[in-house]
Order: sequence, then structure tokens, then C-alpha cells
Amino acid sequence: MKTMITLATFCMLPFCSTVAFAQTLEDRLKTLEETLIKQQQTIAEQQKLINELTTEVRQPRSPASPPAAASDQPAPTDEIQQQVQELKEKVDQVAEAQTRTFPSVFNPAIGVVGETIFGYRSKGSAQTGSDRPGGFDAFQRSVELNAAASVDPFAKAYLVVNGSADPVTGELAWGLEEAALQTTALPWNLELKAGRFFGEFGRLAYIHDHELPVVNRPLVLDRYIGGESRTDGVQLNWLLPVEHYVSLTTGLGTQFGGDAPNPNNPGDNRRFSGLNFWGRLSTSFDLSPEISLEPGISGLWNPHTVDRGGALPQPDGSTFVERERRLVGTDLVLSYKPLRNNQFQTLTWGTELLYSDNSFDATDSSGGSQPGRNVGSLGLYSYLAYKFHRQWSTAFMFDWVEDPQNKHAQTFAYSPNITWSFSHWNQLRLQYTYTDHNAASALAGLRPDHALYLQWSWIIGSHSHGWQQR
Amino acid sequence: MKSRRFGLLPVIMLAMVLGMGVLPAQAAKIRVVTTLTDLADFTREVGGDLVEVRSLATGVEDTHGVPMKPSFVPIMNRADLMVLVGLDCEHAFLPALLEASKNPRIQKDKPGYVDCSRGITPRDVPKSTDHSEGDVHPDGNPHYTLDPVSAKTAIQNIYTALVAFAPQHKAEFGRNRDAYLARLNARIAEWEKQLRPYKGTRFVSYHEHWPYFAARFGMYYFGTIELKPGVDPTARHIQELSAAMKAEHVPIVIREPQFPERTPRHIAELTGATMITLPIMPGGVPHTETYIKMMDYIVQTMATALQNRK
Repeated sequence: MKTMITLATFCMLPFCSTVAFAQTLEDRLKTLEETLIKQQQTIAEQQKLINELTTEVRQPRSPASPPAAASDQPAPTDEIQQQVQELKEKVDQVAEAQTRTFPSVFNPAIGVVGETIFGYRSKGSAQTGSDRPGGFDAFQRSVELNAAASVDPFAKAYLVVNGSADPVTGELAWGLEEAALQTTALPWNLELKAGRFFGEFGRLAYIHDHELPVVNRPLVLDRYIGGESRTDGVQLNWLLPVEHYVSLTTGLGTQFGGDAPNPNNPGDNRRFSGLNFWGRLSTSFDLSPEISLEPGISGLWNPHTVDRGGALPQPDGSTFVERERRLVGTDLVLSYKPLRNNQFQTLTWGTELLYSDNSFDATDSSGGSQPGRNVGSLGLYSYLAYKFHRQWSTAFMFDWVEDPQNKHAQTFAYSPNITWSFSHWNQLRLQYTYTDHNAASALAGLRPDHALYLQWSWIIGSHSHGWQQR
Repeated sequence: MKSRRFGLLPVIMLAMVLGMGVLPAQAAKIRVVTTLTDLADFTREVGGDLVEVRSLATGVEDTHGVPMKPSFVPIMNRADLMVLVGLDCEHAFLPALLEASKNPRIQKDKPGYVDCSRGITPRDVPKSTDHSEGDVHPDGNPHYTLDPVSAKTAIQNIYTALVAFAPQHKAEFGRNRDAYLARLNARIAEWEKQLRPYKGTRFVSYHEHWPYFAARFGMYYFGTIELKPGVDPTARHIQELSAAMKAEHVPIVIREPQFPERTPRHIAELTGATMITLPIMPGGVPHTETYIKMMDYIVQTMATALQNRK
């Protein structure tokens, strides 16, 4: 019997709880209805008050009323009118805001940058040294997917994935261009960055292609750094605690240069001296409220280079293998940005001089060992960019570079261009480039070349210019 | 050996900048950096002698395009408070400057990051942030300080931040704020009186700076010369805008001083409207060094232009 009672009780429990739940629902509904009625009453009272005050304000003043202009203080009716007006505006604005869909705030911020190049070069790739064919050419140089967000209160992270067309097959190849963590809360004005990123060297080496003042990266950066200053490593930046802007950066990484075919010393054991070490010091001077001068110096050292670029054939039949890499540079940007209309007019002169002093192991054409060689070579670019309208700008860049393996071989390039920005996110650039070589370069088969480029770049989604792109 | 050519450069540069940079420390005031000059004026009024205020803008710049100067970085590095308009107004220059400043006290969401738009009900909150609508502000139009009543909210936010930073000076900050608000309220009543005869007036401007101003003074914001925010007008847009202005008898074209005069003047000539140049922050045109002087200038210029058309 006891068992039967227990069983029956157990079976009844769900029904009891259902009834209780139903009662709870009823109670909640009732409470909600009461709250709604109270709110409706409150709204009705407030509306009545607004109507009364509005009527009062609109009533003509009695002739005995003193003129408002007689006193500096507003008349009471004016105050009431102002308060009513403010109240009505607030109510209207809240009502309006509530009818709208508040835009999503992305976390992380995501954006895409695309860049298409239509080109014509008068000489073939064997005579220009380019990985693109001569004649008519069209290619999607890059599609960059960017994402960035805070990791926590102490750091942020960002990544740039780049898709570009393979120069030979035309197939799209994706690569991780940057993926780095950056601290945001270190003491003593320090900031640490780690991962894959563009190391800070010079001015344009760590700028993405679409943000350059010209279509192609300057020759000296291509030859001496390897295009963008990409590295896998760590970088520390220190803002000096003085009342003048001085920034000091130092870092180390397994490679330095985006176009390097592989990291240095990719074997099974890398010595500490196999890493790349770099540093940069930069500052700025306001020559006037509208003119600023920003000089900087940079250095890169890889004490023990193995297999960076592999065996490097020379025109005389010998072969070089890089043993040590040393690079120093100095850069200067002089800019005129009128305060009043800097969206419409700016003038910038930028220049960068690099000195490469690399050591090589050499073998002759028969494979016999030769004494090691040091090759010191110089290169520079200098450009003037003038924005003369919100949508229009023009630039001219001069390039000169000695071959880092043979300083007697020199290349020059002259690149005028004009840029039409439909908007901040959509830009067309037309550029002519004349490239010439001296006799020593001609020995390597390089020939003067005329090139015409039309670059179309666009941005969708989130896009912000960082401090380095200023 | 050859790399020694550059060996002395770092030493020379470092000596130059250190020589320039190490200066005697300032007296212990609250160091406030503001993005725009109206906020600097408010901060000086509320903070009085207890604050040292620097504005990144001088007054003549576009509020969305203050140049990012490296010389701003050490100033922001030492700041106790960073006062900004908010609503994404400074998106083009402030985030990068904040990062470069390496000052954890003034980073977003920290107590030293004083967003003056707190408490403002934004106008024109976009339904979409798609760039087909131009460089829209996701949180709404940020030019609320051109409405002097909304400006009072910014003043209150600055007061709250100063009190939070230096509670021992609460009484002084309170006195300063109340005195300034009394002056401002008196001027607001005067400005409303001056513009009351012109309620319902339609106007266009180069950029969408004036919706809060228009609402405050009962005017009607007819449109912008820009095709979309941050996007220059096309010939067709100018033609359509001019035709609409003529049809609706829009009497005023406002040109903000950081935009070129040619297009607004051309539209004014096409439509028979009067072009006036109005500042968007103190210092934008001569004799507008303070917020009250600037609003005096705006109201007086607008009223005079409309009076002369009668």
C-alpha cells in the first residue's frame, strides 16, 4: 500500500508542477498587464502636461507683460517654451532612433583590399628582370583580407591574408602576409609585437602595395630588402619619455623581406647568429604648423646568412652564396599639409638612401672556391607627391640602385603618375615608367624599358590607416 | 668599414632630439588634450587654473581630417585626460594617435578617455554602414556641439571627468561649470531670439555639419553639396541640388571654411541663394576664439544674411 501511495504521489508531481507553472505564468501576465496600464497612464499624463504647457506658451501675452528684450534673463514663458521644446525633441529623437536598425559593430573589424594592374611593357621579362611578361598584361596583383581586434585589455591582434596571381600559371595563391600580436598596455612607453609582420625599416618597406605613392615598390627596396619587410619574429618599440617625438624600434626574426624565397638557415639547426636583427630611430620636427620634417635611420644585420636566395649566378660565370647581410639606411619625409584644407591639398617629398654591404662566398665557373667578397652598393628613391584636389593627385618617383652583388651594375627608373580617387575607397592610377640600365647591367641582358600601368584599387569593409601610414 | 659612413648618424640624431626634448617639467596641473577647439574651450572654462589644455586641432581643420603630427604624440603620452567629440567624429586620426601615444590612461574605455557624446541622442543614425552611403558614422551624426543645448551635455561630461580625476577640486569645478552654463544659457536665449523670425528657413551646406543646429533653431536642413559624406559632388548632383533649391526657394548656402569656396559659390549663383561662410569650431574664422564667440558669429551671420534678403 505504501508503495502504491508513493508511486501515485510520484506520478502526480508533474501535474502539480504544471499547474504551479501555469499559475506563475498567469501571475506574470497579470503583473505585466498592470505595468502596461501604469505606463500608459504615465504617458497619457505626460502628454496632457505637454499639451497644457504648449497651449500656455501659444497664448498671446497680456499687454501688461514686460517686453522680453527689457531684461537679459529669458522670460518665464520662454524658459517653459525652451523646456517643452527640448523635451519634445528628446522624445522625437528617441522614437526615431528606436525605429532604426543600429549597425553592427564588427568584432573583429574585417576589410578587403583589391588591386588590379593593367600594364604594357616594351620589353620581355628576360630583358626587364621582372616576373611579369612583356607586352600587354592584366593581373590581379593582390586581394588582401584584413582582420583586427583586441585580444584582451592588454593586447590586440591583426592578420592580413594575401591572395595574388602566380606570375607563371595565373592561379590564385593565398599566403599569410601578416599575423601578429601587439601589446597595448606595457609600461614605460613600450610596445611589443610578435608573429609575422612587416618589420620597421625605413619608410616604405612596411607599407602595403596599395598605399604606396606609386604603382610599384621602389627598386632599392625590392633589391635590398626583398619587397615588403616581412619577418617572422619579435619587435620592441619605445617612445622615448621626452617632450619631443623620438621613436626607437628594435627586433629580431628568422627572415627579413617578403620576396625572400625562404627563411635564413632553414636547416635542422639555426644558430642565434642566423637570425636577422634590425633597428630604427625616427623623429620629427614641426618647421611650421603646416610643414613637418621626419628623418629616420635604420639598420639590419644578419651575421650568419645561409641559403638566403640560394646560389646567385653572376654574369662572369661565377656563383655567389650570401654569408653575411648588412644594410643601413636613412630616410627623410618633408611634408606640407595646410591645416585648413589638407583634404584637398598636400605636398610630400620623401626619400630614402640605402647602403648594402653584403659578404659572399664565391665559386668560379668550374666550381672552384674563390676568396670571399664584400660588395658595398648604394641605392635610393626619391618622390614628390602633390595632391591638388580632393580626388586628384600626382607624383613623380626617381629610382637609382646598384646591384647588391655587383655595384657596377646600375638601374635607373623615372615614374610619373596621376591618381584619380573617386572616393576614399576607390582609386585609379595611371603611371608611366621608364627604366634604364648602365653598361654593366646590360651585360646581364637588361634593356631600357617603357612601361604603362593602370592600377585600380578598392576597399570594402573596415579599413583604417595606422600610425605608420600617416 | 663602409657602413661606418652611417655610424655617427644615430648619435647625432639622438643628441639633437634629446637636447630639444628634455625641458623643465610643468607645474602640476591636470593635463588635458582635446581633439577639437570647442572642447578645449569648455575644458578651460570648467577646469579654470587647475588644467593645462592642448587641442590637437587649431580650429581651421576639417573635424574629420586633423593631420596626424608626430609632435602630438608626446603631448598625448603625458595627458591625464583625452577629451573627444565621440560618435566616430575623430575616426580618421585619433585611433592611430592613441596607439602611438602609448598612454594607457587615455585609451578607449579607460577613465581618461572622455567621450563627450555620452548622453547625446544622436541624429541620423544610419540604417547601414555600407560605403554606398559614403563615409557614414555608424553611431550617428557627430556634430552635436553646433547645438548649444547639446553642448551643455559635453560640458557636463567634461566636468564629470575632471571631478573623477581630481575629486578634491569638485567644488571649484562645480562653480566654474555653473558660471559658464549661466553665461551660455543667457546666450542661448539670445540666439534663439535672434533666429526666431527665421524659423522654417531652408539651407544647404557642404558637409552634414548642421542637423543639430537646424533642429535647435527650427530651421530645415535641405541637403548637402557633398554627394554623400566624404564624397565630392558630381556635376549631376550639383545640377539636381540646384534645381531643387530653386524650386523650393532655398535662401542660404553654408560653406564651411575648410572646403573650397568655388562649388558653394557656384551653387549660390545658380540658385540666387546667399552663400555664407560659417566656422564649425572656435578659431575657424577670425574673432571666434571661444565657443560663445563662435556661436555669436554663426547666429549673427545667418540672421544678417536672411535679413538682407528681405
